[in-house]
Amino acid sequence: MKDIIVSASPHIRAKTSTKRIMIDVCIALLPCVVASVIFFGWYSLAIVAVSVLSASATEVVYALVYRKCWKDFKPTMKRVIRDFDFTSVVSGLILALIIPTSYNVKGEMLLLPLYLPAIGSVFAIALGKMVYGGTGRNLVNPAASGRIVLFISFTAMLTACVGTCVVSPIFAPEADVTEILSGATPLTALFASGGGLTLSPLDLFIGTGVDGSMGETCKIAILLGFAYLAIRKVIKWYYPLIYIGVAGVFAVMLAGFDFSYFLPSILSGGLLFGAVFMATDYSTSPKSTLANVIYYVCLGLLNSGLRVLTGIEVTSFCILLMNCFTPLLDRYIPRRPFGYTRDKKKKEVKA
Amino acid sequence: MKKIKGFYFPRGVHVPGRKASANKPIEDCPTPELVSLSMSMALGKPATPVVAVGDKVKVGQVIGTADGMISGNVHSSVSGEVLAISSHPNGTGGVETYVDVKNDGLYETDYMPPVPNAGREELIKRALDAGIVGMGGAGFPTADKLAPRTPVDTLVINGAECEPYLTCDHRLMVEHTDEIVRGARYFEKALGRTNIVIGLESNKPDAIEAFEKYDDVKVVELKKQYPMGGEKQLIYCTTKRKVPIGKLPADAGCDVQNVATCYAMCEAVELGKPLIERVMTVAGNGVHEPKNLRVRFGTPLIAVVTQCGGVEEGVVKLISGGPMMGFAMVGLSSPTKKTTGGLLLLTADETDEERVTHCLSCGKCADVCPMKLMPMNTVFYTKAGDYEGAAKMGGVMNCIECGACAYVCPAKQPIVQNIRLAKAELRKRMVK
Repeated sequence: MKDIIVSASPHIRAKTSTKRIMIDVCIALLPCVVASVIFFGWYSLAIVAVSVLSASATEVVYALVYRKCWKDFKPTMKRVIRDFDFTSVVSGLILALIIPTSYNVKGEMLLLPLYLPAIGSVFAIALGKMVYGGTGRNLVNPAASGRIVLFISFTAMLTACVGTCVVSPIFAPEADVTEILSGATPLTALFASGGGLTLSPLDLFIGTGVDGSMGETCKIAILLGFAYLAIRKVIKWYYPLIYIGVAGVFAVMLAGFDFSYFLPSILSGGLLFGAVFMATDYSTSPKSTLANVIYYVCLGLLNSGLRVLTGIEVTSFCILLMNCFTPLLDRYIPRRPFGYTRDKKKKEVKA
Repeated sequence: MKKIKGFYFPRGVHVPGRKASANKPIEDCPTPELVSLSMSMALGKPATPVVAVGDKVKVGQVIGTADGMISGNVHSSVSGEVLAISSHPNGTGGVETYVDVKNDGLYETDYMPPVPNAGREELIKRALDAGIVGMGGAGFPTADKLAPRTPVDTLVINGAECEPYLTCDHRLMVEHTDEIVRGARYFEKALGRTNIVIGLESNKPDAIEAFEKYDDVKVVELKKQYPMGGEKQLIYCTTKRKVPIGKLPADAGCDVQNVATCYAMCEAVELGKPLIERVMTVAGNGVHEPKNLRVRFGTPLIAVVTQCGGVEEGVVKLISGGPMMGFAMVGLSSPTKKTTGGLLLLTADETDEERVTHCLSCGKCADVCPMKLMPMNTVFYTKAGDYEGAAKMGGVMNCIECGACAYVCPAKQPIVQNIRLAKAELRKRMVK
């Protein structure tokens, strides 16, 4: 009874920690990694490794520089390693899974250079997360911002394969789509026979015959990850469903109430992956229930709307855009405390 | 009456039960040579000592009188001689005035006359005279609760005992069911005509069964959920009424009394016995044998632990009360009080004291908050020194400090500590 700890209540804590949650997310992402190896070969594993390693290295180096490691290297290093909470591993993993493994130049398939995921991860962690103050303080989803940097800087390499989204033919004629996507992609195949759908929802669901980003094609793997996260209560199961449901319904509405667009539009592109793994990111999604519902409904509307308007895959853009509204949602959608009564407030205002 | 299922509130946490002493009958704890009675046993102002050093006192004699509205009388728990009146640290960070009484072992009693057929005024006066306070943990004087400003039509008896480890209320409900119901009837009389509703968590089937025998008591079986025993949550779950923000339960037509308070009221009315002892749970892996003990106030905690077989190796935390809302103490020298419902000796693997990491804005604290507040905002603004921001964005003034937020926090942030700091600062500013 020598070392008695005196601290504020509560004195017992749930067996959980940031590390444990992040490792749970990594586990949930494993089926997607496995699926990408099955569909795109061992090269996808190399991309995952490069991305994860460079993301983690960026965080460690950033923290070392920030803590002025040259003064006292060993203890600083120890502290940085102790503070490493696997959030950058998750970001690196997600980033690797939302870029394709190969790209298409004049009908020839080339493997994606490994410096791309490295650049993306370094940007994602350094400028997407660490500059804001690290874990929990980032404004936008690091993985989404990393992907968008790659998307804008290396458009040709990335867009050649990510066009597996279904857009409504009314608003996006096939000519435009093929032009943007610059190559024979499944999307052109989709509209090849006079705008009809050639890929069945089943193909999209399993990921057979679909080109695209590594982790986004196999929906079974994503659903496995979703189930794991939901059971472990890392995310709330209904939020991704709101996003996906609204996106699907809105796509149907935009296609002039052609219900055959419902399944293809929710199963194509990065929607499912983004809804499960990226939109639910803790620090970039709102905190209260009402704000969350608005956030996911807006995401769904934006996703389907922008797909139709641009004809490209927009999930990362939508998530990035709504991330920017999260602080506003948190601030201006008040949470009513238990026992809140409207009348009382009105009286107070008058008095 | 036959039990009915209660409502549940859609938040809260599931804490482990760890009620190892649930089947241990209540034992009497021997009282040592010297008891030291705190004058700050009730919430609010400390009582004023009315005895002098060298005075002979009897069991049940008033040694401290209530000072002002929210305060309670203190009675001697033993007979003997007053040795000293002094102020010293209480083990949880404050300083209290203590009256030390040397126990002569005779236990001569000086009780009040029994008043089994008392009227309304008389019952309220008896609660005040007997020094009865809310025994759930806060210690709010019961007499003040019995004179509500708005009419009350429901008396809610709190038998939820949602805190892990604690079993004293459970044992009391099983062994003294009749006294509790009689005490509740006296409260009913004091409040005017009311319904009696008792809320119990579903992990106490034997207690639920015991209460089903009484026709005038509505038994509500509640879901096992923390903080089910919180006043506002209990009222909602038993009657589906919401207590408005910043108001008292009386504004929702309810009055909440703990089962131990009912028991004390029954003794005070029928035997004239003031509040001089209570049942407390001694538990945790750091104690040899967890027990439920009937302890006279002023008994040093070390004597209580000795009765349970002494301290085991590896104790890192001493807690007065439950593990979710209790206070950590520096040692076992401080005496028991009216609000000491439990003494926990926790080992390192039970307390799970981990290093604080960055808040990852996961929002789990807001998900579990039974008051629907935003604890992470409170922490954020409090750390920045912006207490008004904490009140506006975090709703800190409505917090009941149940600790559910800090319990689930994956970053192990000291949320409740920040909340208390913000509350204290805001109260200071309000006074100015």
